[in-house]
Amino acid sequence: MKRNEIMEKIKAGFPGADAEPRFSNQIHAAVPAAQITGFITYLKQMDFKHLVNITCVDWIEENQFEVVYNVWSYEHHIHITVKSVIDRTKPELQSISSLWPAAQVYEQEIHEMFGVVFLGNPDLGPLFLHNWLDLPPLRKDFNAEEYSGAAYGFVETDTAEATCIVPMEEN
Amino acid sequence: MSEMLTVSRQDIMDGRYERVLDWFRSRSMWMLYYCTGCGAIELPPTMTSRFDMERFGIGPMATPRQADILLITGYISVKTLKRVVRTYDQMPEPKWVVGFGSCPINGGIYWNSYATINHLEKYIPIDLSIAGCMPRPQAVLSGLTRLMEQVKKGEAVGYKKYKMNYDWYKKNQDEVLYRTEPVLGGSHEAE
Amino acid sequence: MVVLTSLFLAFSAMVVGLLFMGIGRKVTARLQRRYGPPFWQSYIDVIKCFSRNSISHSYIQDLGSMMGLAGLIAAAMFVPIAGWLPFPSASPIIVILYLMPIGYLGMAMGVSASGNPLAAIGIGRALTLMLGYEVPYAILLLTFIASSNTSSLAVLSDLQTGGIGNWFAVKMPIGFIASIICLQAMLAEKPFDTMIAPAEIASGPMVELSGKFLGMAFLQHAVAIFIETGLIVNMYLGGGATVLSFVFKQFLLYTFAMAVNGIYGRYRVEQAVKFLWIFAGSLAVIQLLINIF
Repeated sequence: MKRNEIMEKIKAGFPGADAEPRFSNQIHAAVPAAQITGFITYLKQMDFKHLVNITCVDWIEENQFEVVYNVWSYEHHIHITVKSVIDRTKPELQSISSLWPAAQVYEQEIHEMFGVVFLGNPDLGPLFLHNWLDLPPLRKDFNAEEYSGAAYGFVETDTAEATCIVPMEEN
Repeated sequence: MSEMLTVSRQDIMDGRYERVLDWFRSRSMWMLYYCTGCGAIELPPTMTSRFDMERFGIGPMATPRQADILLITGYISVKTLKRVVRTYDQMPEPKWVVGFGSCPINGGIYWNSYATINHLEKYIPIDLSIAGCMPRPQAVLSGLTRLMEQVKKGEAVGYKKYKMNYDWYKKNQDEVLYRTEPVLGGSHEAE
Repeated sequence: MVVLTSLFLAFSAMVVGLLFMGIGRKVTARLQRRYGPPFWQSYIDVIKCFSRNSISHSYIQDLGSMMGLAGLIAAAMFVPIAGWLPFPSASPIIVILYLMPIGYLGMAMGVSASGNPLAAIGIGRALTLMLGYEVPYAILLLTFIASSNTSSLAVLSDLQTGGIGNWFAVKMPIGFIASIICLQAMLAEKPFDTMIAPAEIASGPMVELSGKFLGMAFLQHAVAIFIETGLIVNMYLGGGATVLSFVFKQFLLYTFAMAVNGIYGRYRVEQAVKFLWIFAGSLAVIQLLINIF
């Protein structure tokens, strides 16, 4: 299938999705959050068998999270970027871990780093961070500098002597 | 007791007879390098034919039991710190720590990261720091020869300081390391 | 008197072995186009090792270290140095070959007491490698017994006096090549250093040795170098008229082994055993057949 045919199929199957071509072999698709599972199942049936990754962007000024899925087809040699926008105050999205087992870990990581809840994911427990009680650290409203200073000691950048934590008397 | 003892270097440095052995120690320093992420690539040029640190008797060793120097290169995340402290505790005395690069000194470019510590000096005693991001092999050799001189004079006594102020170091370690204890079972909600 | 001479022999075996190790490091460095450490570096290393604190995991480790060194020193007593022995004996090769494993077994006992799995892997490899080189070595020994009707090292070196033409290295070149291959394996130099392998099993048997235990391991290796090169010198290179020429021949053998060490990679342990059995073993069998018929 050529790229045009794929885009026509996407528009036929999901009129709410907004697909546009990018570069020579990519498609950029924006999908409403409610349709995300159905849309990716639809792509997988069109031989998009490789889930490249899942990631998330924090648009704090619009009060939105943007969850990004990248899929690739070995048959058509087309890369599709699927983006879905969710509300930042109530970040919930359907899980796709039933389609790819690998998606479970990606979703677990996004839950840990951004606090997005994936409904239907069997395990959203802590993955990399242990005993973490603060805000999820990759959110824009998490103050990394303040946290680092409180937990590991502030770094004073003005004087050379400031870095000397444990002075030893010379004589 | 959690205050750092104020001791002068004169009081704890090696005595006259110990300094005879210090000459041998300074000429044969075996190094365990803990390459945490960056800095590992600066060491092969230091060891091989261009700079050849074996001519000073400094060589790589495979285990903490055999090593005299613990060389820590690059940034140290909280989980890495646990391994670093364990490695340091496993080394027999006398032992020395060399902090390699900016990150063990003050966090370097990771100074505001939520995952990496900023001052390694608070957790284990550092005898020598080599600044730079990354230091070139010349800087590594110059630093190691400085350490050789310190050891020869009996001035590199970080391990004695660690023993004397163990409570202080242990408190600092515990403040950070309680977070690395694994959470077993149950889901964990962000607050 | 015998005690004093024995102690002197043990001490000088260590001194000579450490000197060889230092020069060997220099040779390796020059092959890699480095300047290399000074030739007395091994002495400094040993003194430094003994000056450090050491961690003992159990009394078995202390005993094992001492047993390893003692077994090798006992084996060194039977190696004639330019016809001289610390006490009168027939210096049979079989006794030497059966005393040397005591050194390795003592080390195995000592380091296994530490409980480190890497040490156990290293010892397993060392004993497997021993299986590899003992078989060709025993066949070579059989060659001497079949052709000269003796297994005494002193008699064998006496048979070779009077010029290079009488050396067994010239008379039996195939066996000499086989024994050189076995020497490389006995010294555990590349390509047969699977038991040390710092990058994969963290220096194998030595992984838990600190301070004086590591110093003992160094001394043990030094004595082992002295015995293993001394065996070949007595068996193939005429034994040496004076102590100096004896040590010089040992030095040539060790330098050759270090030069090979400097340019080769590492066999896996089963490849090493296969190589020793197929190549060294078949060379030894050919030499045996030539000598018998």
